[in-house]
Amino acid sequence: MLLISCPNCGPRDETEFHYGGQAHVPYPENPNDLTDREWAEYLFYRENTKGTFAERWVHSTGCRQWFNMLRDTVTYDIQAVYQMGGAAARRARPTRS
Amino acid sequence: MANTAAFTGINGLREIRRSPASHLAEAFDTGSVQGTVTLNEGPFQTMVGVRVDRSSEAGARIASVTGGLPERCGDVGGTERVSVLWLGPQEFLVVAPEDAHDSLGGDLIGSLKSALGDAAGQVVDLSANRTTFELSGPRARAVLEKGCALDLHPRTLKPGTALNTEVGNIPVALFKTGEESFRLFPRASFADYLGRWLLDAMREFASPEVP
Amino acid sequence: MSTHQLPEHPDFLWHNPEPKSSYDAVIVGGGGHGLATAYFLAKNHGMTNIAVLEKGWLAGGNMARNTTIIRSNYLWDESAAIYEHALKLWEILPEELEYDFLFSQRGVMNLAHTLGDVRESIRRVGANKLNGVDAEWLDPQQVKELCPILNIRDDIRYPVMGATYQPRAGIAKHDHVAWAFARKCDEMGVDIIQNCEVTGFVKDGNRVVGVKTNRGTINTEKVGLCAAGHSSVLAEMAGFRLPIQSHPLQALVSELHEPVHPTVVMSNHVHVYVSQAHKGELVMGAGVDSYNGYGQRGSFHVIEHQMAAAVELFPIFARAHVLRTWGGIVDTTLDASPIVGTTPVDNMFVNCGWGTGGFKGTPAAGLTFAHTIATGAPHKLNRPFALERFETGALIDEHGAAAVAH
Repeated sequence: MLLISCPNCGPRDETEFHYGGQAHVPYPENPNDLTDREWAEYLFYRENTKGTFAERWVHSTGCRQWFNMLRDTVTYDIQAVYQMGGAAARRARPTRS
Repeated sequence: MANTAAFTGINGLREIRRSPASHLAEAFDTGSVQGTVTLNEGPFQTMVGVRVDRSSEAGARIASVTGGLPERCGDVGGTERVSVLWLGPQEFLVVAPEDAHDSLGGDLIGSLKSALGDAAGQVVDLSANRTTFELSGPRARAVLEKGCALDLHPRTLKPGTALNTEVGNIPVALFKTGEESFRLFPRASFADYLGRWLLDAMREFASPEVP
Repeated sequence: MSTHQLPEHPDFLWHNPEPKSSYDAVIVGGGGHGLATAYFLAKNHGMTNIAVLEKGWLAGGNMARNTTIIRSNYLWDESAAIYEHALKLWEILPEELEYDFLFSQRGVMNLAHTLGDVRESIRRVGANKLNGVDAEWLDPQQVKELCPILNIRDDIRYPVMGATYQPRAGIAKHDHVAWAFARKCDEMGVDIIQNCEVTGFVKDGNRVVGVKTNRGTINTEKVGLCAAGHSSVLAEMAGFRLPIQSHPLQALVSELHEPVHPTVVMSNHVHVYVSQAHKGELVMGAGVDSYNGYGQRGSFHVIEHQMAAAVELFPIFARAHVLRTWGGIVDTTLDASPIVGTTPVDNMFVNCGWGTGGFKGTPAAGLTFAHTIATGAPHKLNRPFALERFETGALIDEHGAAAVAH
């Protein structure tokens, strides 16, 4: 079980949260201008990083706020928690192979 | 001709209203261990969901109605009669006695709506959304610890703190009202489940402690 | 002091050759799908100068970690075709591979717990029948007759309102399946190379011409990726992207029991699937952990949730004990269907995205992927499962049939 530090509520069990996948994926500015390939990239393609991954979580049982998190997808170590819309925090460790 | 007059509240219906855990009242009574841990339902409290930026003018107006808006997670604002629980950075739950409800002669919801005015935010009557359980006694914390991962030790959790969390795997607002007393606010549809879960967790304390 | 002699060491089922400098084709991943692909490349296409590269030990990834369920009762025509073909192969493979891997057609039930489930299940039974897949709708009493330990009382939170039933479905011994394929591959001259991790690819323009490994560079004309869990990592090395997310998937077994559970029971709604292994363990699985993960482990609350579901459905299990839990890494796609076909890199092919249900697809994955690699074009069974479907929109949404219990 992950112990996640909500920016508003402090450390809570993973069961209080929901996962939101990769962070920092902007909605296309002009969706109508995209090619099928670009639209497919937006809809279906996400990074699947092995190593430090920037992802979104929501504290659904607590403050119901979304936030971003850097987590190692191999060790599951949580390296940083930061606000939605904030720049990705520094990468704590290089991507593992 | 049909009666199209506006409803004037639930007056007259009060007698037939049933609370979400009313069917467990007797079980709560027999399951309670006096002097150790007791459980009962405090039904029909007036509850209002408020969403507002507490640093805005509307926030200040609402705070003047409720007796303050809590600043951060865990804080509870309000007065003797009204508690304001922090649910999120811009979301609060106002809890007041039943008779504060506008349909029973009170003016809480109307006052909050006027205070918000046209500003960004919302004031919603949530009185039927949740019920209230009161769990008290020296072993109340031990009962909760069976299904709540928060640190409930008194050195961390002080009276007057409320947290939105999970108890028995369901979402609950947990309000520590005294050194040995807690109020739990489950949603109405979870009242039966949580009531039975708490009764089960209390059962061992009816027997003498094994040294 | 024991007077027993140790038995003579049995013949090795396969050898451990040193990698050659060059092959006609290299399969990355020595699990069930990789071995099946090599088998069909050799058997159907005469390609025996090929290697299967495995970074760990043979069949030590998801092939060692799955819950061994085999069925073909999928909703859409494309899925029914490929999974049913797999099932037909499962029925003949023990003889063809000359290895009894204990394929037991004890049937699979998919329980319905809500009216929505019931409608969806009956629809799927109809679709299955149209596609030649054996399927029946059972009422709760019939469910009870087939599996007496199931609780069909209506006073539980999610009562059993019926089930789809596929009599030809069942389970098999997963490790034995891998060994059976490995032995035949080895006999036909395929090199199975363990402890050989792929670290990159050699390309000539857009064409793959070699595989870099921790045991040197291997030249090859064709590369097939069969490394569920790590498909995205390999694709990135090769310079293309896959619409895949890797998630932990957990399973568990109880201690051994006398036979108590005669079939396979799956419940999407309460999130558990259960069978009893030949040896006697109750084998259970549930849904994936929500977050991306390559750790081969997940969170305990997922186990707790599936145990709660299992005990509600099978009250007798309250007296069993969890002996062991583990996790694998599954490739999930947005339509819960696999990707088998060509890639943006010439002469590189990919077989991935089988999600939580790759084991049952093993023979058909091998057959169609071998065809794709050998001829450069997809077999008719895997043509709909091309990578391009995410651009064309021709998705094959099997969340209903796959969902938690692929």
